[in-house]
Amino acid sequence: MTQKPLVTRPPAPPGAGGIVVTGLRRSFGDVHAVSDMTFSARPGRVTALIGPNGAGKTTLLLMLATLLAPDAGTISVAGHDPVTSPEAVRRVTGWMPDVLGSWNTLSVRRAIRTTALLYGMSAERATERAEELISLVSLDALANAQTRSLSRGQKQRLSLARALVHDPSVLLLDEPASGLDPAARVALRELVRGLARDGRTVLVSSHVLAELEELADDAVFVEAGSTVSAERLARAASAARPWRIRAIGAPDALALALSELQVPRSAVSTIGDSVVVSVTSEDVAADLLAGLVQRGVRVTTFAPAVGDFERTFLDLDREPHAGRPGGGTAAYPAGHDGPRESGDAR
Amino acid sequence: MIPFTRGLRIVVGLELAQRVRGVAVYVLLGLFTALVAAVTLLLWATSNNSGMDGGTGTGGYLFSTIVYFVLLLGTLLAPALGGAAVNGDREAGTLATTQVTLVSTSQIVIGKFLASWITSLAFLVVSLPFLLFSFTLGELPPRTVLVSLLVLVIELAVVSAVGVGLSAVIGRPLFSVATTYLVVAALSIGTLIAFGLGGLAVQTEQRNTYIGVDAAYYEEGETGAPDCLPPEVYTTQVPRFDLVWGFLAANPYVVLADASGGDFDASGSPVDLFGAFALGARAAQIPPEAETVYDECAALRSGSMEDPAPTPEDIWNSTTPSWFVGLGAHVVLAAGLLVWGIARTRTPARRLPSGQRVA
Repeated sequence: MTQKPLVTRPPAPPGAGGIVVTGLRRSFGDVHAVSDMTFSARPGRVTALIGPNGAGKTTLLLMLATLLAPDAGTISVAGHDPVTSPEAVRRVTGWMPDVLGSWNTLSVRRAIRTTALLYGMSAERATERAEELISLVSLDALANAQTRSLSRGQKQRLSLARALVHDPSVLLLDEPASGLDPAARVALRELVRGLARDGRTVLVSSHVLAELEELADDAVFVEAGSTVSAERLARAASAARPWRIRAIGAPDALALALSELQVPRSAVSTIGDSVVVSVTSEDVAADLLAGLVQRGVRVTTFAPAVGDFERTFLDLDREPHAGRPGGGTAAYPAGHDGPRESGDAR
Repeated sequence: MIPFTRGLRIVVGLELAQRVRGVAVYVLLGLFTALVAAVTLLLWATSNNSGMDGGTGTGGYLFSTIVYFVLLLGTLLAPALGGAAVNGDREAGTLATTQVTLVSTSQIVIGKFLASWITSLAFLVVSLPFLLFSFTLGELPPRTVLVSLLVLVIELAVVSAVGVGLSAVIGRPLFSVATTYLVVAALSIGTLIAFGLGGLAVQTEQRNTYIGVDAAYYEEGETGAPDCLPPEVYTTQVPRFDLVWGFLAANPYVVLADASGGDFDASGSPVDLFGAFALGARAAQIPPEAETVYDECAALRSGSMEDPAPTPEDIWNSTTPSWFVGLGAHVVLAAGLLVWGIARTRTPARRLPSGQRVA
């Protein structure tokens, strides 16, 4: 799976599917929840919406879901404008909110059936559809339970089922994985991947970045109400990133080899039984691995310590709007001016 | 777009299943039934024991009392049942998930209003056996029965609409329920207070003349023509309720009474509570006389006492009905609040009250 953060691509021509957002702005009084967002999400792909709390992700999704009108900017959802033709957008959009509301006294089956009716399905079709979705989200055992008795994770699945009732071509999922157990997360991932494979546009916001890495094809980073520019993303991508190295054999072999390879000690830290080295690029990482193997270090693990999304997210978070690539921590290689204290390796 | 009535039906069904919490409402209905039953029995028993004209008037008073009971209970409960319909859903996170479907905001708000109205009508339904019983006791013409029930049903709709409308206009459920109660209280009790205070505040002078009889007349055994004393003139301040009776016209209990009353027995007295209440309101329309003369002397000389006081029926016939004005104002208020509520709930939302979330 490619995980190149994708922010700005040429807007799709009007009438095309997917989501196209340009120059979006929305404030609540003095609070500029969304100040400038431009991105697109394409059909057949899962697009991750990544950003810290309060970055404007939920406000953006509310505008896409036809609930909020933007102050400025344009939105196209499957070729329709949510402001001028909300009806058309609602027909093709499934929205799973971050607030887990459910009709407390209704059974799971009746809640889904009612949603189907609200989408204009006939009574028979709605009943059928409820059964399909109950098994799709694995709530069979709870189909007759009142929704108020559901756990958070189960409500999450009910909410997903409700979003899928009318077989939408665009899916807006706001924190879909929160509260799900690992098995349900895997199931959700498979389900969402499958939905995208069928040609649907899926926009997912989540804080669980590791999970988005496995789920999303593209990513949109938002920060303080704005989508992050391509340049800043490129800078973040070129910043140093930690690599996790584990080796077996002589305990000091790895440390010795690292110091022989002129890795500054400040760029090395030990976490548990593994060593984490801050490395500026993939080329350097490859050279480092070759060097270690050459020196007879029996490497068992050599991998980025964090995913791409997480690294970018953290880097943007750490250095908001500052143009300094790489952050303040030492990285390898850091020039060859530093004094080597080879004595301590022994 | 879902056809309007179909969307309404779905929303009403959802609302009745969701908001009408089974047990609580059934307990209330049970209590209400017991109360109405007790009142029916007591009224019926007392009228039989006291031999009140062999039961004349019992049916009318019984019927009107039950109707007033339903109005009282309905106006007390409707705000609680429907006063958080929209903002309560918003807080529970179920409003937005309904709004992204194909039902319109009008269908959602009006559906909630209908559901709240239907719930308050349940109180009328359980009291039907007692209404029927009191009707079979006789006296009340079908017209009165029909009109009073119709006005009752409309007034319950008004309270439901005010509750649901305010729940869409005001953000917080507690506040909108309280405001609905305030509106009900303003109409039911506030109008009475305004009427009373208004009448007392605007007072005019009344000139009273009294022509008495020389005391010797009585001492001589009340024979012969009495000697008249010179007229005594004194002035008093009298309240002008005739200027503020309009406040009463806005009272739902008076509206119900004024629309339904008008049945009198042979002696010109009202045969039900409607007539009794309405007479009180109607009598306020009559302005106080600027000058009153009580000529005791002339009365004694002519041998006939003063003019007989007008009967309730005379008062009724000499005054103007006002129920349609009050009812019309109520309906306008209710419809206005619903329309305002729909406008405030419409999506995509442009302006939001501060602190309010869409979802």
